[in-house]
Amino acid sequence: MPAGDAARDSGSARHEIPEQEKSLSTAHSDNILRNHKILVANRGEIAMRIMRACGRLNIPFAAVYTAEDAASGHVLLARGEGGEKSLFRVSSYHDANELTAVADEAGCTAVHPGYGFFAEDFRFARRVAKRDRKMIFIGPSWKIIRELGDKINTKRLARSLDVPTVPGSDRPIYDEMEAERIAKTIFEFQGQQGISRPLVLVKASAGGGGMGIEEVYDPELFRSVYRRVRNYALRQFKDEGVLIEQRIMDFNHLEVQIVSDRTGMNPVHFGTRNCSIQSTGLQKRIEVAPGFAPDALEYSFDARKVLDDIVAYSLKMARTVGYDNVGTWEWIVTRKGDPYLMEVNTRIQVENGVSARIAKIRGQGGVDLIAEQIRTGLGEPLGYRQEDISFEGVSIEYRLIAEEPENNFTPWAGQIESFSWKDAPWLTMLTHVPDKLPYEIPTEFDPNLALAIVYGKDIQEAGERGAAFLNSLRLTGSDGTGANLKSNAAFLKDNTGRILYF
Amino acid sequence: MDNNIEKYLQNLRDRLTYITDIFAGKHSDSAALLEEKLSAFSARARSGNCEDEYAELSTVEGLVAYVERRLEKTLTPMDCVRVVRHPQRICLRDILENVYDNFTEVGGQDEHSLDPGMLIARAIITRRRGKKTYMQSVMVIGQEKGHGAEYRNGGSVKPWGNAKALQYMSVAETEGIPIHAYVFTPGSYPVEDYPGAAQQIAKNIYNMAGLRVPVIAVISEGGSGGAEAIGLADRRLMLSHGYYSVISPEGAAAIEGRLRNGERATPELIERCAANLKMLAEDNLKFGYVDRIIQEPPLGARPWHFDFFRSLRQEVIRATDEVVISTRKMPILRGLALARHRNPENDVDSLHIRWGLSGAAKTRLVRRRQQKFLRLSRQAARDRRPFLTKTATAFFDWISKPWVVFKYDFYHKHQRRISTLMEEVSNEIDMLKYRLLTPWRKLSRRLPGRVDNKAKELTALSSWQEDSRSRRWNYISPRYKTDRTLTCPNSESYGCLDLWGPDLFAEFAGVCSHCGYHFPMEPEWYVNNVFDAGSVFEFNSEIEAGNPLDYPGFSALVAQAKKKTGAKSGCMTFEARIDNIKMVVVMLMGTFRGGSVGAAEGYKFVEAAARAAKKRYPLLAYVHGTAGIRIQEGTHGVIQMPRCTVAVRRYIEAGGLYMVLYDTNSFAGPVASFLGCSPYQFAVRSSNIGFAGPGVIKETTGMDIPPKYHRSYRALSRGHIQGIWDRRQIRANVKQALLTIGGRNLYYR
Amino acid sequence: MLDISKLLDEIKSSPYREITVTAQHTGKIAFAEIETGARVRGPQGQWKEMPGTKLCTLERERNPKPVYAPENGEICRIHRELDGRFVEAGSPLVVLRHKLTRDEVQRIILQKTLYLFPAPERAKYYFTPEADKKIRASDARSVTVRNGMELFIMSRMKREVPLNYTGPDGVIYEVYFKYNKNLDVGAPLVGICPPEHLRAIQTLVMRVQTEWTET
Repeated sequence: MPAGDAARDSGSARHEIPEQEKSLSTAHSDNILRNHKILVANRGEIAMRIMRACGRLNIPFAAVYTAEDAASGHVLLARGEGGEKSLFRVSSYHDANELTAVADEAGCTAVHPGYGFFAEDFRFARRVAKRDRKMIFIGPSWKIIRELGDKINTKRLARSLDVPTVPGSDRPIYDEMEAERIAKTIFEFQGQQGISRPLVLVKASAGGGGMGIEEVYDPELFRSVYRRVRNYALRQFKDEGVLIEQRIMDFNHLEVQIVSDRTGMNPVHFGTRNCSIQSTGLQKRIEVAPGFAPDALEYSFDARKVLDDIVAYSLKMARTVGYDNVGTWEWIVTRKGDPYLMEVNTRIQVENGVSARIAKIRGQGGVDLIAEQIRTGLGEPLGYRQEDISFEGVSIEYRLIAEEPENNFTPWAGQIESFSWKDAPWLTMLTHVPDKLPYEIPTEFDPNLALAIVYGKDIQEAGERGAAFLNSLRLTGSDGTGANLKSNAAFLKDNTGRILYF
Repeated sequence: MDNNIEKYLQNLRDRLTYITDIFAGKHSDSAALLEEKLSAFSARARSGNCEDEYAELSTVEGLVAYVERRLEKTLTPMDCVRVVRHPQRICLRDILENVYDNFTEVGGQDEHSLDPGMLIARAIITRRRGKKTYMQSVMVIGQEKGHGAEYRNGGSVKPWGNAKALQYMSVAETEGIPIHAYVFTPGSYPVEDYPGAAQQIAKNIYNMAGLRVPVIAVISEGGSGGAEAIGLADRRLMLSHGYYSVISPEGAAAIEGRLRNGERATPELIERCAANLKMLAEDNLKFGYVDRIIQEPPLGARPWHFDFFRSLRQEVIRATDEVVISTRKMPILRGLALARHRNPENDVDSLHIRWGLSGAAKTRLVRRRQQKFLRLSRQAARDRRPFLTKTATAFFDWISKPWVVFKYDFYHKHQRRISTLMEEVSNEIDMLKYRLLTPWRKLSRRLPGRVDNKAKELTALSSWQEDSRSRRWNYISPRYKTDRTLTCPNSESYGCLDLWGPDLFAEFAGVCSHCGYHFPMEPEWYVNNVFDAGSVFEFNSEIEAGNPLDYPGFSALVAQAKKKTGAKSGCMTFEARIDNIKMVVVMLMGTFRGGSVGAAEGYKFVEAAARAAKKRYPLLAYVHGTAGIRIQEGTHGVIQMPRCTVAVRRYIEAGGLYMVLYDTNSFAGPVASFLGCSPYQFAVRSSNIGFAGPGVIKETTGMDIPPKYHRSYRALSRGHIQGIWDRRQIRANVKQALLTIGGRNLYYR
Repeated sequence: MLDISKLLDEIKSSPYREITVTAQHTGKIAFAEIETGARVRGPQGQWKEMPGTKLCTLERERNPKPVYAPENGEICRIHRELDGRFVEAGSPLVVLRHKLTRDEVQRIILQKTLYLFPAPERAKYYFTPEADKKIRASDARSVTVRNGMELFIMSRMKREVPLNYTGPDGVIYEVYFKYNKNLDVGAPLVGICPPEHLRAIQTLVMRVQTEWTET
């Protein structure tokens, strides 16, 4: 493989679907997939991955873009690959009406929401499924999105199945006495656990996005904090319900990838991931599959059992609700090795690539989870069982983002002037930054530049390759004031050493 | 020519112009003839060719008078409207000068007044019996048209003018002198500035319903709300050429002809509407809305008709006397005195009746006035309740009264005393228990707590319910079935995205998820989602809206509305519960003829208020929407304003809690009376509340009003309402309001 | 102060502006009965409460939305080829030639006299809730600003950052940003009029009002 800029040249084919990959689709082509057309209701990297998956499955698609995004790679790919009526400029990705109108005009029969935007919007899923001209929402059915999209509800469901959740209330508390009782129990529980500085979180149940959350460290102060949060909630959300939870300080963030078909009867898992390296805003920056490496590293608890447990719990829940598409069960694992279910993401996630990279389905070879999602979403049966899935090696995904990690991960916007890296067979680069530079980063969205997925036979090799990739990266640019492009490449490199260690 | 002749001539010319004006081009031959005679005479008089100027003059005058008498018979309703609006028509100043013996204006002088359209004066009537003179004071209140003086605003009174009138009504009440109200108004001036046209009229009506002095009203031009602001009286007299109507004929024509901004109705249409509205003195006497007609000279009274002023004086004094006499306790004496008084031969100036009343007489006066209004207009609604039901209801009413009195007036009083006692006793016991147990508690605190598995305790759980939140609403608008999007009216300013109908009308309860704008919802939505499921019990649904004036074409429209809504009138009255708090609800439905109020709606309202009073329930008026008084019912509609307000006043004075909740659009008469008089008025978001819509304001005042002029939040800042509620929280808010305002028993006192 | 006469003459020499009416979002277009060369009216009334001439209807998801002329002017071009077809967001529909109004000329001149507070970054801008409340209740001129006062919210990359005003004290005389629209770096956000200049600016406004004739 040529190095440096040569990679860019070979990369010119990035916006086409390679021939040999197309042939892969024949393995799946079936009557069910015929006569479908998918609206790719997203932008950037994920839109491109969906389009490629469609290409592999031989399903035509239509794409949307906004005026700010006209130079994005996904637009170029759609222009190159889509046929008649396949690319539409819309006013906003956030306007469901635009998407349904375009889907009707393009003759789409299904909508793939990607991640973000409408991916976990049960109203959109319901609308797509219930409107006069019905379409398939590629994702779980809207009822599942609604039930699992509600954290409180998820927590209740989990408890009813004896799945462990963060200690605390599983419904909004309206009564001060009850709130105090719960807080007291949580403090005592932490004392039993030997936690030196017990913390209780008080949050408005109707809130979100970090609003109306406060910490209490002293049981004496609980009442005043509770009242403050309750009053805030009443003013802000017209609902004085408050949730009370243990605040867990030192934990790893793990997740379980679930895939199921429309029957909802036989969900399978595609292993675990570890997403503990995050920005200060708790946004993931590096994801690794598998979730722990007990063979290679030392843990203070039985890591293998934790992995098995969370997989089993996740599958149990998925089976109970009849989960019928891809989804992720997010867990936190404390330093003592206690897993708690945090939430369920009823969508394909950014980091699905690392799980796919280390998994193999018997008789099929490589895995593309997005293709699996589309295929099962449109109604094809899964076609394999858990025993057919095997895992090998370690895969790391780096999220390359134009931001300043040293300045609270402030996003950076401007022009990219050069962008290159050393290509390797163990490296998959996913980017919507077009070949033709300069490229202006749109200010409307997160300034994600690329996802780099590296593979190694074990954690050491994967880490070394990740570092090698980051070393080869050349990324320059400048903004309107002449300041140089800022990226998190150094942050990613610094954190490579922390991967999978607790 | 001598000066005197010139004066007479001028008077005749004025009478001629008057004739031409009020007939608006009709009878032009008569006018032309008179014109010719007049100018011929004046030419001759000027040149000095007359032998006997005065004789000739009286011939001409005789001719004019003859023509006036002849034309009198041809007067149409619209001509009467022009009569009362004519600058030459008598106005209140003329009456003060000619009917009363002396007066002092107290509400300002001429243009130097808070509102020159409202004239208030203390006046004196002097009566002689034998050698003795009696001076009697009255408070004269009325609209002053001032012979067309610009600053009088045609007698269209601004809200603060009505407030001033109210102030002096209570002054009269304090001083114990009768009130003479003269109604000379085409309608109130429809501005919302504090105190607000509608809200002030409502306050006036509410207070007049309980004024403890005799009130006599004389109606010349009775334009709906403006007239009611001072018109709720013990005796209502009407000038024979006046009109008393729900709306001006032009206004009715504009609605009838569905005219848009700026378009003008044809004179024929206006004429027809004037006739259809049945707004003349005889009509109103027949309906019972006025008590007596005062005959005017041919073609209406003008300031030089001194005879007329004399008879007006006789009538108002007689009416006042009658009211005073009718409060006497002894029926025989009362009957005799009334009979003597009603004899037109008797000169009331030579009689003397003291106008001051004793406390008990005042109470009887108010009760009689209230009952008088409550009895009105029943015949105008179609009561389809079977005879048996009616009898049974009446019988039950009669039977249950003593029980209710026992239960609430006797038992509850004592029950409270008992429970207070019980509370005290149990407090004492608690205290004792606490003292006794203290040592044990100290001991037990030191024992190790049971902390076996706290985590398990926390996972005490609730089950995962499949579809728990989709049943948030008991009723969803049928519009949710249509797959289409809607644009929020605020999208321009707040950037709201289009809303998908099935989401909007079901889950969102018609509320824009971005800005909170409330799309109108069906009345059923409220009935089913605000009150406890299954608790709604409708009553009096058989009272039907009809067409009491036989307004052409209106019967079909009413039938159509009945078919469309499935309701028999625009008012639904029911008993309901919220979390077991019982209440009586009156709902005006915007879907039935715009929620307009006519005789049937008023009837049901009055009945509901009585029911709430009897059962000691709170009364909630939920106004899904009201466009005002139903104009096609004419004064049958307008009379509902004082009538229902009287019902409200009786209910509140009995100790009731009356609350009003406005939704969508609430305008005109109802707001200016039985709704606006509530001390607790709330609005649902995005609703509009006001007196007159933008079109009417533009037409009557010539002002452009800013968009959103009537929005509820504006009404809130003007002090008209007490709060604005989100539709999705009506239930919680009603409950809270009832518990906080109504107190423990949801009922005052 | 600057030479107003010269400025006015400059504007007078080319008093027109082209306005392209574009599709706000996707949908099917049906043109109203309009002709090239015809005069159209913008929103009318004291509060611009009456919409202007209807140019076409844009229907999306069974919700037909009328598209009105934004300003007075003359139709130069109608994209008839789009009639009855599905258009993408931002497609040009009608082009108007609009003669600058007094207010617009005033705005142009004011931009050269007021203190303009520039946008520090390409972003969307909003007023802080307190300022916004005041402005919605009456108008922008009721808001007095001081150096260092927290006045804006800068929304960029999904993040909202408070932005302090820096510059001379005064009242907000003009607002140059719109709801949910991106502003480029350096574009003016607001025009501030220091109290001592208020009189001078009022005379300037008077001059424009008298010297610029509208047709």
